[in-house]
Amino acid sequence: MSDNGIVLAAEDGVEAAFIGWLKETLNKNIFDALLIPVGTPAGDSFAYLLLQEPAILDSASPLPPVMPVQGGKAIGRLTMRENPSKRIAAVVRPCEARAAIELSKLEQAHLDNVCLITLDCPGVLPLADYLVDPVAGAARFKEASAQWDRSPMRPTCQVCDHFSLRQAPGCDLHVGTLGCPDGTAVVVAGSSKGDHVLEQMDMGGQDEDEQADFLNTAVTDWGTQVEQVEEAQTERRRQAQEDLREEIAGAEKLLGVFSSCINCHNCQRVCPVCYCRQCYFESAALKLPAENYLARAERKGALRFSPDTLLFHIGRASHMALSCVSCGACEDACPMDIPVGQVFSLLGDRAQKALGYVAGTSLEDPLPLVSYEMDELHEVEQPYVEVYPNQEVQDA
Amino acid sequence: MPEGATSSAFASERLQINQGAEETVRELLRSLLESGKVNAVLALGRTGGPSGGVAYSLFRDPEAFGADGDALPLLPFMPANAGGLLSRLTLEGPVAEPVAAVVKPCELRAFIELVKLSQGNLDNILLISSTCGGVYPLDMGIDGSLEKKLPTYWERMEQGELDDDVRPTCRACESFVPEGADITVALLGEADLDTQCTLHLNTERGAAFAGDMEGTTVSGKRDSEALERSLDERKAFREELFAGVGVGLKDLIHTFGRCIGCHGCKTVCPICYCRLCYFDSQNCERPAGFYEGELARKGGLRVPSDTVYFQLGRMAHMAISCVGCGMCTDVCPADIPVSTMFSKVGAAAQAVFDYQPGRDVTEEIPLRTFEEEEFTEVAT
Repeated sequence: MSDNGIVLAAEDGVEAAFIGWLKETLNKNIFDALLIPVGTPAGDSFAYLLLQEPAILDSASPLPPVMPVQGGKAIGRLTMRENPSKRIAAVVRPCEARAAIELSKLEQAHLDNVCLITLDCPGVLPLADYLVDPVAGAARFKEASAQWDRSPMRPTCQVCDHFSLRQAPGCDLHVGTLGCPDGTAVVVAGSSKGDHVLEQMDMGGQDEDEQADFLNTAVTDWGTQVEQVEEAQTERRRQAQEDLREEIAGAEKLLGVFSSCINCHNCQRVCPVCYCRQCYFESAALKLPAENYLARAERKGALRFSPDTLLFHIGRASHMALSCVSCGACEDACPMDIPVGQVFSLLGDRAQKALGYVAGTSLEDPLPLVSYEMDELHEVEQPYVEVYPNQEVQDA
Repeated sequence: MPEGATSSAFASERLQINQGAEETVRELLRSLLESGKVNAVLALGRTGGPSGGVAYSLFRDPEAFGADGDALPLLPFMPANAGGLLSRLTLEGPVAEPVAAVVKPCELRAFIELVKLSQGNLDNILLISSTCGGVYPLDMGIDGSLEKKLPTYWERMEQGELDDDVRPTCRACESFVPEGADITVALLGEADLDTQCTLHLNTERGAAFAGDMEGTTVSGKRDSEALERSLDERKAFREELFAGVGVGLKDLIHTFGRCIGCHGCKTVCPICYCRLCYFDSQNCERPAGFYEGELARKGGLRVPSDTVYFQLGRMAHMAISCVGCGMCTDVCPADIPVSTMFSKVGAAAQAVFDYQPGRDVTEEIPLRTFEEEEFTEVAT
C-alpha cells in the first residue's frame, strides 16, 4: 500500500460520493469502461454491467445486498481470451477481486488493463433470503451493514477474514469505510496501477497540507479499525471451522452432509475458480455401461443413482481448494441448502495453510501446484510404520 | 384431452389386492428382487443415515423394500427426474437382465422421450408408475416439513385432491395418469389406500411380473370420476398459472433478469441431454474485443452475457420435448418460474404439431418427420 490516497465525502453518503468519483474517472478518460453491479430491469436483483456512459452509473450499486454472480467470474468471462484494449475498472468485493487474481494466475483472466477496485465489505445476504422480498432485503442489508453487523449475512460472510485491502492486498484501488466518520471514506492505492489512477485524479486546488493531514488521520483510523475487525473475524472463523470440523470429519459424516445433494452441480458452475469448460464429472468418462452400475449395486446392496455424488464434491475440492477464496457463491446456488461453501472454505483454508499460500492475495505468489520446493512437506514423507505404529500388525 | 381420457391409459385388466398401496408396492418389488425376476430396482430411498437425504438408488438387496428398509418408492418427492437416470443407465446399451423402475408419470414420459432421442433403451426396463398427486418442492425435503406433510398428502389423495403445498407445476399437470407404464398403481382418488390397492396391469410384461401377487383379477373398463375431476381442477389451475407469466421478449428480459447463470435448469432437465451445452462451450467464450464491440454499440452490457439468449436457445432446443416435470423451477436458486414459462411455450409448440412428448415411443419426434404439406402459412 502506498501513501497515496484521497478522502471521499458527500452529504448524501459515501456511495453517492464514490459514484460521483467513478463518473469523474470516465469523464477524465482515466478509464474507458466500468464493470459494476447494476439493478436488474425488474429491480429484484443485480447484475454486472460493463458500461461507458457515466449516466448509467446512477443505477449502479457498488455494494449490492447480494452476490448473484461472483465478480471474479464476470471479469474472467470478459478477459479470458485476451487483455481488453480498453482500460476497464472493475468495482467488486474483496473476495471477487481475489477470484479474479486467482483466475489470472490460472491463465483464465487477463488483468493488464483491468483496475480492480474493492470496498470494505460487510458481507452479503443469502440470495434466497433476499429474493423472498427484495425491498425488505435491501433495507435489512442497509441497516446491518451500517453497523457492520454480519448476523443476517451468509454464513461464509459471517466468518470472512478477508474483507478489506489489508487482507486482499492484490487490489489496485480500495475504498475504506470502516472507522471513517459517516459519509466519508478513504480511497487508497494497493498497486502502482492504483497509484497512477490517483495521481491522474488529483484535482488539486485545495490546501495540500491540510488535505494531507486529514487524509493521514482518516487512513490511520481506518487501518486501526480494520485490524480490530480482522482480529474478531479471525477468531470467529477459527471457532466456526472448529465446530464445522466436528460435524463433517470422516467419510461417514461427509456422506451425511452431501446426502441430500441432487447433483445439479450449481456449486461448480457458479464457482469463480472452477473454470473447466466441461467438468470431469459431467464428461463421457463417467458415462458407463449398465453392467458397471449394476455390479456396484450388487456389491453394495444398493447404489445411489446418479452415483459418485460425494466423489464429485471431493474431486472438486481437490481441484480447487488451493484457489478457494471462500466467497460462498456455491452455497448461495445450492437448492438443497447444503453448507457447501462452509465445507469448502474449511478445506481451502487448511490446504492453503499447509502450503503457505493465500488464494488471490497476490499476482506474484506462484500457485503452489506449479511451484517446486526441495524442502517442504516432510511430514508426509514419513514412512507409514512411523506414522501408524503397530498398524501393520493390525492390518495383517 | 377428450372426455374420459384419464382412463384411456389403462388396460382392461387390473389386480385388486387386500393390502395397502405402499405395502403392496414394497412387497411386489421385494419379491421381484428375491426371486431374481429383476436384477435391480430404481426407486427413491433414504441416503446417508437417519438424518440424511432422499435420492434415487439402484436397489439390489430385497431388504430395502422390507417394512423398515431404506427404499421409499411412493414418496411424493423428486430429487432428480428418474427419466434422466434411466437414460444414464441405458445410454451405452440395454440392460442385460430386467430392471424395475418406480417412476412418476412425467419421469416416465421423459425416459420415453429420451429413448426417442436415442439417449436410452427401453428393453428390459419394467416401468412401474402411478396416478400422481404431485410432489413437494425440493426445499420441503430439507427442513423435515415433507415428512410432516405425508399424512395430509395421502388423506387428500384418497379424496382425489392435491395438497396445496405440492409444486405449482404438479397442480397444473394434465398428464398425471401414466401412459406406457407396464404397471400402474392406482393412487389418486382411491379410498382406503392403507388397506386396499389396485394395480393396473397394462402390458403383458406387467402382468407377467406382477402375476405372483395375491389378489383378484378384474376385467372391464373402469372410469374414475375422481381422475376426471382432478383433470378439470388442474386444467383450471394451469390456465391461471400460465396467465400469470408472460413469455414475450420483454417478459423474458424482466423475469430472467435475476438469473445467476448457474444453468442448473439445464443440468437437471431430463430432456437437455447434451454433454456440453452450446452455451457452456467455446463458442460462448468470447474475446474481449467482442464485449468492447457490444459496448460501443449498446453503451452498456451485462457480463456474463447471453442470459436470455441461453433461455431462448434452450427453449428452442427442448420445448417440443418438454414433459413439464418442473425440475428446472425446483432447482433455480433465483426462484424463477422456469418450468411455467417452458411448459407454456412447450405446450404451444407441441399443439402446433399435435405432439405430446413421451406419450408413445413409436410416435416420431416432430423435428424428425417431414410433411410436404405443412406450415404453408409461414411459407409465403
